[in-house]
Amino acid sequence: MIQVSDLTKTFRDKSRGLRAVVDHISFEVRDGEIFGLLGPNGAGKTTTLRMLATLLKATSGRAMVGGHEVTADPAAVRRMIGFLSGDMGLYHRLTPREVLKVFGRLNGLRDEFLRTRIDEVVEMLQMRDFADTKVDQLSTGMRQRAALARTLLHDPPVLILDEPTSGLDVPTARVIEEFILQARRSGKCILYSTHVMEEAEFLCDRIAVINQGRIRITGTMSELKAATGRERLREIFLDLLDDQPEKAAAP
Amino acid sequence: MNLRMVAAIYAKEMLDMFRDRRALISMIVVPVIAMPGIFAVVHYFTENLGKKAALESSRIGISGRVSEPGVRDALKITGFELVPKPDARAAVENKSVAAALDEETAGDGSGRIIIFVDKTREASTIAGERISALLERLKLARVKTSLRGMGVSERVLDPFQVKSTNVAADKKMAGFILGSVLGYAVLLLMFTGGMYPAIDMTAGEKERHTLEPLLASPASREEIVLGKIFASTTACLLTAMLTIASLLAAIQRLGMGPNSEELEHLVSRAGPDAAAVALILLTLLPTALFAASVMIAVALFARGFKEAQSLLTPVIMAVVVPAVVGMLPGLELNVGLALIPVFNVSQLIKEIIIGEYSRIAFITAFASNVFYALVAFWISVRIFKTESVLFRS
Ligand SMILES: Nc1ncnc2c1ncn2[C@@H]1O[C@H](COP(=O)(O)OP(=O)(O)O)[C@@H](O)[C@H]1O
Ligand SMILES: [Mg+2]
Repeated sequence: MIQVSDLTKTFRDKSRGLRAVVDHISFEVRDGEIFGLLGPNGAGKTTTLRMLATLLKATSGRAMVGGHEVTADPAAVRRMIGFLSGDMGLYHRLTPREVLKVFGRLNGLRDEFLRTRIDEVVEMLQMRDFADTKVDQLSTGMRQRAALARTLLHDPPVLILDEPTSGLDVPTARVIEEFILQARRSGKCILYSTHVMEEAEFLCDRIAVINQGRIRITGTMSELKAATGRERLREIFLDLLDDQPEKAAAP
Repeated sequence: MNLRMVAAIYAKEMLDMFRDRRALISMIVVPVIAMPGIFAVVHYFTENLGKKAALESSRIGISGRVSEPGVRDALKITGFELVPKPDARAAVENKSVAAALDEETAGDGSGRIIIFVDKTREASTIAGERISALLERLKLARVKTSLRGMGVSERVLDPFQVKSTNVAADKKMAGFILGSVLGYAVLLLMFTGGMYPAIDMTAGEKERHTLEPLLASPASREEIVLGKIFASTTACLLTAMLTIASLLAAIQRLGMGPNSEELEHLVSRAGPDAAAVALILLTLLPTALFAASVMIAVALFARGFKEAQSLLTPVIMAVVVPAVVGMLPGLELNVGLALIPVFNVSQLIKEIIIGEYSRIAFITAFASNVFYALVAFWISVRIFKTESVLFRS
């Protein structure tokens, strides 16, 4: 369960001064649900996810993740989550199996259990052929599967995934999407960011469209259609982006 | 603080470190190969220069006027090559011989042998000294013969004897030299050996964006920093141990060479015993911790590998200064000086090898290094909690 209310992050920027990159956003992700944060580059998706993963401190507002408040008890939050950062963050000189071992231990898995669990995850994500090859020799798709394996290894109730399919070819993206759908079936609470509309439409139970740090609309596809009078997400999305007083003011 | 977490981070860093070619070069290749290599080259040059000077100095000029009996024979027997030179002074000036002899008649009618040397040339100086010594012996032999002819004992020439003794044992002198070199080399290489691993696990992780999953894991900032500091400390210690081992081996070989000088023999035998080596390693333990913590804190501040390198270069320079000051003679480690990082250790290593260290200074140096390491650890944790440093772009 993720509950976000009035969450705000301001950065001090040399050129632009103090600036709200995430601006009073509120949403809720239930267990067994995939919630999509859809927005163009620079909308504030990564910053939001980083705050929920306790990497950044919110300037104001509250966020509960797995029953713990992110600022008040970050350590407890970190035990509840699997976080996939936009850059994958795999150690290049290590093999996927070695990376999994490191993060398994950090998540408190005991060695005997960890070994069987790694085998299991390697099977699930079809990583058998490259699990023992150093990361720097792997393709982007292989790396992304390894990164996802690391995110899921300790079976966390909450998954926070930052653009997990960006830059992947269609078959690999398919493997990953399949996997996320399977995680939903097992009851996980999944927050998913993307700038690809088709992906959001296909995967997500509910979608929040975010732009310039603000959430413009939240709901299921049918709710979004009803609210905007548009049939396709692409049209809804573009309408919402166009409809920006801030945008007109921007240089 | 959960030690299992620290151990997991440490294990990861060690694995990563031993696959990093740059780190392996500075940790292993430099101390094992470069150090003895430098020694060998220096030794080769000094030895060859010495041989060359010896050869050159045996070629001397002699003018036809030298007629003092026995002089020519004595020079030849001693191994000088005599080259006839009518103008002895000019022959030395134009460097065709190392030194040259001439003879004139003194005021009292006796012969006076003149030795021409050029004191700006090493070979000439050596030749001059050898010739003077030889002529003195020749003179003495002639006096003794005369005395015997007159029935007087040779003892009148030597009414009493003089002997001077250096109370500083040779071993101590040699230990001083060895200790100075060792302390300097070990400290310098310890920092350079730990530098790449320290950068790689901080600024390097930032640059490659691997820090985020680590920070989102249940490991606390303190546990992460500690695991990294311990790994980098291991790198420093490993480099230091390899440096000591390879330096001692190189010096020992030096002393066994056929042309080794007396001092080299002594230095090679001044090598520390097992107890001294153990004490040195004990001294290096908190030093390595200090070096690692400082470098981790500095490198953590950098955005990327390059920036970390340029931030750490002055740190290494700063290490060289106290290490060099520690090599100077005449300084003794007292409690106040034992508080100065790096300097205290270079001094302590020297004193341990000589066999004269003060226990108070040892404890002070040990404790102060641990203290500095704790300060650096605390600073690193603070930096790790500062998101503007961690996520600045
Ligand atoms: N550490 C930071 N300091 C200053 N500005 C930042 C920082 N991180 C992100 N930003 C700015 O915040 C905005 C939102 O970034 P981000 O959350 O990464 O967007 P998204 O993930 O939706 O593309 C961007 O304009 C970016 O430049
Ligand atoms: Mg992003």
